[in-house]
Amino acid sequence: MSIIIDQNTRLIVQGITGREGTFHTEQMLAYGTRVVAGVTPGKGGQQVLGVPVFNTVREAVEATDANASVIFVPARFTRSSVLEALDAGLKTVLTIAEHVPVHDMMYCYRLARLKGARLFGPNSFGIISPGKSKAGFMAHRIFAPGSVGVMSRSATNCYETVFMLTNNGIGQSTCIGVGGDMIPGSTFVDLLPDFFADPETKAVIIIGEIGGNEEELAAEYIAAHPEKPVIALIAGKNAPKGRSMGHAGAIVSADGTGSAESKERALRAAGVHIAENTQHIVDICRKLKEEGRL
Amino acid sequence: MEYQAQALFKKYDLPVMRGCVVDRPEDVAEAIAREGVRFPLVVKAQVQIGGRGKAGGIQFADDLAQAEAHARRLLGSELRGLRVNKLYLVERASSAREWYLSILLDRLSKQPVIIFSAMGGMEIEETARTDPDRIKKLVIDPMIGVQDYMARYLLSSSGLPLDCLKALDDLLRKLYACFMDYDCMLCEINPLAVDSENRLIALDGKIDIDDSALYRLPDVTAWRDELPEEELVREARRFNFLYIPVEAGGSVAVCSNGSGMLMSCIDMITKNGMKVAAVLDLGGGATSDRIAEAMRILFSTPGVKAVLINIFGGITRCDEVAGGVKLAMERHSLDGKLILVRMEGTNKDKGVEIIEGLHSDVIRTDGLRESVAALLERRDRL
Repeated sequence: MSIIIDQNTRLIVQGITGREGTFHTEQMLAYGTRVVAGVTPGKGGQQVLGVPVFNTVREAVEATDANASVIFVPARFTRSSVLEALDAGLKTVLTIAEHVPVHDMMYCYRLARLKGARLFGPNSFGIISPGKSKAGFMAHRIFAPGSVGVMSRSATNCYETVFMLTNNGIGQSTCIGVGGDMIPGSTFVDLLPDFFADPETKAVIIIGEIGGNEEELAAEYIAAHPEKPVIALIAGKNAPKGRSMGHAGAIVSADGTGSAESKERALRAAGVHIAENTQHIVDICRKLKEEGRL
Repeated sequence: MEYQAQALFKKYDLPVMRGCVVDRPEDVAEAIAREGVRFPLVVKAQVQIGGRGKAGGIQFADDLAQAEAHARRLLGSELRGLRVNKLYLVERASSAREWYLSILLDRLSKQPVIIFSAMGGMEIEETARTDPDRIKKLVIDPMIGVQDYMARYLLSSSGLPLDCLKALDDLLRKLYACFMDYDCMLCEINPLAVDSENRLIALDGKIDIDDSALYRLPDVTAWRDELPEEELVREARRFNFLYIPVEAGGSVAVCSNGSGMLMSCIDMITKNGMKVAAVLDLGGGATSDRIAEAMRILFSTPGVKAVLINIFGGITRCDEVAGGVKLAMERHSLDGKLILVRMEGTNKDKGVEIIEGLHSDVIRTDGLRESVAALLERRDRL
């Protein structure tokens, strides 16, 4: 198994006729993702790479029975695209764009909660269940099927980690880009129950960073549910204080809230293995493997 | 800045004291007359520093002569290293009490939150530390917005009489409209003066706006240009790069294609006892021209002796990255500088070939750890 996305996922690509949308649809199809429909207003009736294009998400869902959507539209159109997907009844919606206004996400987040849907991103590479399916723009060559679940606020740190895991023979069940923004649609604590319930996932890697309290919330959950080994890496220990590091969410406030120290302390107290760097993550995974826990 | 927040408050019909902005002492009389500002007034230097009063940036004037004297002295002077270019001249209020009111976008609830306290003014930070119960927090569900029971709750739970209920409700609605329309992360009124007739007046305000929403807020974009900004940050933005100064006196700079990786690089370099001066996020498109520009900007940072390039994008073209390094070396004199290149992506072989044909000071590695180790070996050159 895996979580959120698998070979049965019937995916819509919103913005399929755009440059990014088309390019990554091709990549997703090549990987085996069942892209069943695309949506671009005004392009209904066309086909892209053999995938039928619709004017609205509702029509796409009605015609194809799609059950998830990945949104490849620019930041300023993200809000309306997310609302359209949620309003069409989709329960899994991924947003990729960077620089989505926080107020737009605040509204989308709230609506997703009220509708019982799962929203991922923005500022995320998407989700991949290696060997089965992917929704997003990650370079899939570096991923390999296996039993480690990965969640990351940063795409680059996730790539680096996965690259080393795969090179060391440690595959992944599902890798999720929770995104680097201030309001992520889903975060670590939302996904831990899924990974813990997934029989294929034997251990979970959390790649966090400074800012916010997502890692602390994860620590609380893990302390109450010590079900599987969890490894965490917190980036940004030496980042300059009070400056946003590009990820809108990665900022330590003047009073120290959101610091790497506070996060590591909370996670360590919950029994999480703290990794110093990506190599260290691999070392810990190898040890778990030797102990027969992976 | 304060005067900009005041202008926005005025636009939303929030009760503010009359004031005017001047940038030359000789304009004081005209500006006061034009806006109908009455004495006594407060002369406030428009600089973004904490403890502005203590630094001498807030003065009182009972007549025009005093106001002009303060203006002559303050304009062009420096407060804690920041030049005073503008003054805000505002009528002095006679407040009976001072409250605190703000709406901020709360990361934890992921919704707007009202923060209210009857202990406003300079005391708010002290109150937050010593008596947090006297600060009320109330989530605004964006699907519900501001409703009349909210002001009632804030006053009632603070043990205050409901005399100001209508005024506070009105203020909250206007402040929330401003918060929503202007993509605010924070709309703060402190102090919020309560006069003897239970009228509320926003004496000072602070507004913080989401950078990602600036494209739809043209008037704010104009304000932003007035803010002081480091030259290299501005220069980098011309190319859509994000340049972040890290530590003054550092000798290493880092260039990457994601902020998470930049943070990891800073962490690893610092852990190995070296100092990072600045980092640069390329954003999209690692073309050779962009790489060359990024290197020029990083090597312009005072004290930088080495640039570490770490690019891992999956679909990034390594030959473009390598070509950028080559271009930078041709265009700019980088003699004696170290360049460490780690790249993963397509056309890696081609890229490697270009890099290896450049110069012995251009060092290619296969990982971040190896790059840092190579730097460490050449520490005497940093």
